[in-house]
Amino acid sequence: MNTFASYHPAVLMLYFIAVLLIAMFTQNPVLLALALLGGVSFCTLLERPKDFLHNMAFYIPLFLMIAITNPLFSHNGVTPLFFLNGNPVTLEAVLYGLDIAAMLVAVMYWFKCYNHIMTSEKILFLFGKVIPKLSLLLSTALRFVPLFKAQIKKIHQAQKAMGLYASNSYVDKLRSAVRVFSAMLTWSLENAIDTGSSMKARGYGLKGRSHFALFRFTARDGLLSGAAVFLLALVLLGTALKETAFSFYPRITALSASPIAILAYLAFGLLVFLPFLLEIVENMRWKALLSSVPKHGALSLSDATPGKDDKK
Amino acid sequence: MDKAIRSPQKMITACLLLIGVPLIVVGGAMLFQEKHYAWISLCVAILSCLPLFICFERKDSTAKELITLAVLVAVSAAGRFAFAWVPGFKPVTAITVIAAMYLGREAGFVVGALSAVVSNFYFGQGPWTPFQMFAWGFLGFLAGVLAQPLKRQKIWMCLYGVLAGVLFSLIMDVWSTLWADGGFNLSRYLAACISALPFTIEYAVSNVIFLLLLTKPIGEKLERIKRKYGLFG
Repeated sequence: MNTFASYHPAVLMLYFIAVLLIAMFTQNPVLLALALLGGVSFCTLLERPKDFLHNMAFYIPLFLMIAITNPLFSHNGVTPLFFLNGNPVTLEAVLYGLDIAAMLVAVMYWFKCYNHIMTSEKILFLFGKVIPKLSLLLSTALRFVPLFKAQIKKIHQAQKAMGLYASNSYVDKLRSAVRVFSAMLTWSLENAIDTGSSMKARGYGLKGRSHFALFRFTARDGLLSGAAVFLLALVLLGTALKETAFSFYPRITALSASPIAILAYLAFGLLVFLPFLLEIVENMRWKALLSSVPKHGALSLSDATPGKDDKK
Repeated sequence: MDKAIRSPQKMITACLLLIGVPLIVVGGAMLFQEKHYAWISLCVAILSCLPLFICFERKDSTAKELITLAVLVAVSAAGRFAFAWVPGFKPVTAITVIAAMYLGREAGFVVGALSAVVSNFYFGQGPWTPFQMFAWGFLGFLAGVLAQPLKRQKIWMCLYGVLAGVLFSLIMDVWSTLWADGGFNLSRYLAACISALPFTIEYAVSNVIFLLLLTKPIGEKLERIKRKYGLFG
């Protein structure tokens, strides 16, 4: 599950930007179908089966709702299917609704994957050099959130023990919550000043300070980013030459099957299934390595111990 | 020596901003012709945040000021959990406005925009993140500009709370309309606004309640540390 996530943050960011750029801004049904399939399959790799079903229960109704409501707002198109309250419901609008729904759900799935893979420390690593102050602010705030949640709980419990939550009315509850919140704020601002002094004492803002980073750019990162850029360039070529252009209004255009368009589809298909493929390759390699290990692992291990060799 | 290093860097930054940005906006709009509205709106949301962020990066601020802002950002995100038992009640706007009133427009912008990012680490990032940053950031900036009347009269503060709730809702509806349609479809926009009306009312009401309840306790504390430690001068 972790093959893809173990790549360098810059490569991962590049990959997500490449996929989202196409998924968000194309109307081509083939590209969108690929984006949707790729996003869903990538998400199943990252999440438990229970979450997958949970997601489906949310996204399928969403998909249908967007698809169905579009013809009600949009009466463009030349092929009326039937009339509703005197307004035509057109075939083009129905298909366009499906297209938008696929786009929105695909983008949501890709962002789900993004949220799993691009953890906050990766984001901060990426932006730490470009916007040092804002990243520092962001990372401090991200650390404070769980701290404050714990503190809110503590204050809440202390107040409860003092009998301050006696009444059940909403006004009282709200006022109690505000009192807890206010106490938490005093505590945290006090802490903030301490933290600030401590940072100053440790030389925050001085020149020549280096930062600790877990990530290193290796050959496989270069390979993956090269592949992503190449595939994206192929898709963009198809887009720039209007080979993958597709419009619904007033009349649905035919899907282009020119070599460049097909190349763009293949490239995008490969791009969206790249994490999936990497996972499979890694699994196969793992199996191959396992099979090359002698069956009785424990025995071979004891063979290698020096004590036994000495006795021989 | 230092100047020699800095000036080419400045040149490169200026070139990037002057040439790169229009290139990206126009190039993207031409490339993705079918969805150029969505592209341009995303660019506008991101680019309008840039100048203020750059300003903030350039300014000399002490570690204490940075951490104080971080506390406010975290407080507004954690507040979503503190008041979780009332659905839709979020103190984010109120805290942004209070930060802007007491610490200035830039602080208001930064607290608003970063609150969106931080809370979305818990509630999910998406294409809506830049728009939330834009909406909350500018509500904070505007509150900073209007700080004096807002501080003086409670009625103005309440009105601003209502206005902020409505504006936030309207900005986010523009986003969803552009996103769903690729173009600006007025009937869809109106439908989105009407279906979002209960939320808009809830935003406005919760903003006013939070502003009334929180301005005094938070404002006093901010005022105190400002004076005691000479911050945000």
